[in-house]
Amino acid sequence: MKKDNLLLIVILFVFTIFSCTKDKTPPPATPKVTTGVYVLDQGIYGHNNTMLTYYDFAGGTQTTDYFMNVNGFGLGDTGSDFIIYGGKVYIVMNNSGYVAVVSTLTAMFIDTIDFKKAGVNRGPENVVAAEGKVFVSSTDGTVAVIDTTTLTITKFIKVGSNPAQMVVAGDNLYVSNTGGFSATYDSTVSIIPLNILAETGKITVGLNPGSIATDNGGNIFVVCTGNYGSVAPRLVKVNTNNKTVVKSADSAFGTVRYFNNALYTTGGYLGAANVSILNPEDFSAIRPSFVTDGTTIINPYGLDIDPVTGDVYVGDAKDYVSSGQVYCFDKTGKMKFSFTTSPGISPARTQLIVQ
Amino acid sequence: MYAQDKSDSSKALSPVNVTAEKKQNPFTAIVPVQLLNREALQQINAETIAGASKYFSGVLIKDYGGVGGLKTISVRSLGGQNTGLVYDGIAIADAQAGQIDLSKFSSTFVQSLELDQANPQQIPIPARIYSAASILSFTSNTFNTSNFTQSKWMAGANVGSFGLWRPYAGVYLPVNKNMVASATAEATWARGNYPYEVVNGMFSQERDRSNSDIRAFQGEMNLVNRFADSSALQTKIWGYYSERGLPGSIIYFNDISEQSLEDKDLFVQSRYLKKFNAATSLLISAKYSSMYTKYTDPNFLNNAGGLDDRYTQNEIYGSAAVSQRAGNYFSFSLAADLAYTHLSANINPFPTPTRTSIWSIFVIQFNKSHWQINASLLNTNINDKTELGSPAVVENKFTPAFAIGYKTKPESPFLFRFFYKDIFRMPTFNDLYYTYNSNINPKLRPEYSNQYDVGLTYLKNFKSGLSQVSISIDGYYNTIKDKIIAVPSQNLFVWTMQNIGKVQIKGLDFNSQANGGITSSLKWSLRVAYTWQEALDVTNASSAVYKNELPYTPIHSGSALAVLYYKNWSTGYSILFSGKRYTLGENDPSNQLAGWNTQDIFVSRQLSFRDINLTLKGEINNIFNEQYDVIQYYPMAGRSYKLSISINNL
Repeated sequence: MKKDNLLLIVILFVFTIFSCTKDKTPPPATPKVTTGVYVLDQGIYGHNNTMLTYYDFAGGTQTTDYFMNVNGFGLGDTGSDFIIYGGKVYIVMNNSGYVAVVSTLTAMFIDTIDFKKAGVNRGPENVVAAEGKVFVSSTDGTVAVIDTTTLTITKFIKVGSNPAQMVVAGDNLYVSNTGGFSATYDSTVSIIPLNILAETGKITVGLNPGSIATDNGGNIFVVCTGNYGSVAPRLVKVNTNNKTVVKSADSAFGTVRYFNNALYTTGGYLGAANVSILNPEDFSAIRPSFVTDGTTIINPYGLDIDPVTGDVYVGDAKDYVSSGQVYCFDKTGKMKFSFTTSPGISPARTQLIVQ
Repeated sequence: MYAQDKSDSSKALSPVNVTAEKKQNPFTAIVPVQLLNREALQQINAETIAGASKYFSGVLIKDYGGVGGLKTISVRSLGGQNTGLVYDGIAIADAQAGQIDLSKFSSTFVQSLELDQANPQQIPIPARIYSAASILSFTSNTFNTSNFTQSKWMAGANVGSFGLWRPYAGVYLPVNKNMVASATAEATWARGNYPYEVVNGMFSQERDRSNSDIRAFQGEMNLVNRFADSSALQTKIWGYYSERGLPGSIIYFNDISEQSLEDKDLFVQSRYLKKFNAATSLLISAKYSSMYTKYTDPNFLNNAGGLDDRYTQNEIYGSAAVSQRAGNYFSFSLAADLAYTHLSANINPFPTPTRTSIWSIFVIQFNKSHWQINASLLNTNINDKTELGSPAVVENKFTPAFAIGYKTKPESPFLFRFFYKDIFRMPTFNDLYYTYNSNINPKLRPEYSNQYDVGLTYLKNFKSGLSQVSISIDGYYNTIKDKIIAVPSQNLFVWTMQNIGKVQIKGLDFNSQANGGITSSLKWSLRVAYTWQEALDVTNASSAVYKNELPYTPIHSGSALAVLYYKNWSTGYSILFSGKRYTLGENDPSNQLAGWNTQDIFVSRQLSFRDINLTLKGEINNIFNEQYDVIQYYPMAGRSYKLSISINNL
């Protein structure tokens, strides 16, 4: 082999290198927000790929990574929940450790609310709003109270271990404490009166409580996932007036929502992969399969109900690692429309944009 | 490759009579074999066998960056758990993770590093070595000796960017005319605080990697006995200790990691080889190993106020192998191996699994002028027990392998080859018994792989300026079924393992080596490796990821090393490159990770005073300061410098 052959090999290699860099994607169009929904695509833990999808009712089109398109940067890692409240969107970024505050009508970034304690992430998880305040539960055992005028945290309320979800029922905020980061799970729901903003007591509901809903008639419903072994998953109904469990049944659910005298549920990890409707009194099935038109949902993950129309939004997380799909059904279980969240993964929440 | 006159330690420490250590030229093997000898290992600026293995074709080293970052090997896209690791003839195994962090093994004292596809062809051989889809094996400098009279020593140090400091020393002492003792030791300190760029959309920021420091110590002692009946016994004690920070992946808006990892590994192994006559040989191997891992995260939000997980894995292993030649053309070999592995942890509840593994092989070899054939049948019997929850089901399987080589004429430079191998891997202890889902995971079954390979090699020696050229091209087709894949379960933090994957892999490996002289004092050598690969997910035809490339599998990748020698000087250039890849199974442009290449150069000068050799070497690694990730959000180091000094009487 001569020296020029050697040179040729080097040149060939360099050529290959230049031809192997990343493909460029054209920047997507960003339509103006009118009436529609935002979907939070959680992404994959550790992949910094949380995205916001905007679906426009009028055009019937979706734009994923709307936040990135508007602001030029991504939200970060593992958005776990979001809420639209007072003209602003509060996006809870669990692994990035902050809450992004965004204008509802433009998706323009307004502010960040940091969730670090001495630089260490508290793990913000769930968000609800009431009486001009936004509440964010964090894995470190706290509920933060956010003043929506100053966008600052005014207080951290100590609750149980690794709180997950919250619901406002009557004058109280109820927080389910999972204890999911420890070997033994928690089994309580914390009670926080809105006029005191401190935990005044706990109700024992069952091992590993997660999703929580209220009928606004003095009862809350809690999904207790159990320990994936000897303790089976349960659905529990608690009378908040006397703080006692009034109904409990062995059934596996992921998310529970209450609407119009019915409980809407997803099967979650241990249950069946469908959406069902239960009677809130005796937990009997009103419709074992909510979907009536044969639409196949691979993995119902997100579940949200339009409180006005009763439309049900189901986020299909599929295998949790590829693009999700969102389905909108009317209250009879017939699909109205559907859209992909590609490349957004695991559509966890859908929120109506209220003008 | 061209051998430097005095520094070529492989000449001084020539092959032993203990086992057939003599390295066949890899371009004459009937299964694809790639080899880096001691000299090449010195030239590619690789500090550990992880870095060196990047120069093999068909290989992906999953490198999490920095000296302390985890580095595992996947060969021909079969996955890290399907590659066996063998040190001086005996397997190094980890039943917990199923794969070994290759950055634990320094290349300083390594005599040769070899990657064998399917099965190594030497017999007798322990049966366990046949239980992997491919074998990465390395041999120590200290074992390879026929010299029982002269004592030798070697000492040196490397100093490099980002706080790297690596001193080492080794001695080799004949105790009497039939016994040699040796000892080597090396320490590593690195801060690992290299700069990297975080890019989020239109914004980017320069940062230094933090919590990326490591201090590590490794050492070994060897004793080689030669007996009157010409049998031989080798005994090795190997120890490793390290403490390192785990910097974690880059998470936007959250850059604190205080996780750390401590490792304490120890093994003792012995091999006894007896050749009864020219036709019959016996190989007995035995090993005890202990691996201790401590993982801490003070910021984990559990009730105990942080994680402090400690695992101890102990294994006792033994093997007996015989080989027998029958007539002029046939050889047979039988081997039976037993391993007993126990894993305990300070976690409560923990299943505390034990695994009893029995491997048996029967090998037939046929060797006649144009033809070489190797056929084998492996029986694997795996039986788990747990103190809590249900163990995995007992597995008892027979898996065959077959390899054939053909030459049109015995002296022809060309060799055609074909091999087929059918093998499986057991789910690891982590797959089966990790977290609380112990009632769910033991339903896992083994993961099966099939490999087919067709190749052509060319090897020719010349008398002119070009002394030797060798080329090999292999096309391969692999399938995996019941691939064990982690799937998120009830939330994004808890994942479970499922046997859901099907994979189809097509590939082409090209390897070439050449060396020669331009003038009598100016010589050169060149090695090039290139891989084309298409590894497709074929699990579910209705899924969005159907026929998409597996994550982190580039279609094009390769390496090259060119060295020039002039008198006592040598200088070299090496390059590694990878095409674009996807970080997820769904090959969307938003999941694409850019291709990369790194280019290194070195200059080395050797000085000799009587018996003593002094080698000085300067390196610039990643000369163009390429910013890249092998695994997304685990940035790799940019340009770095290193100076080495080595003194020996080899």
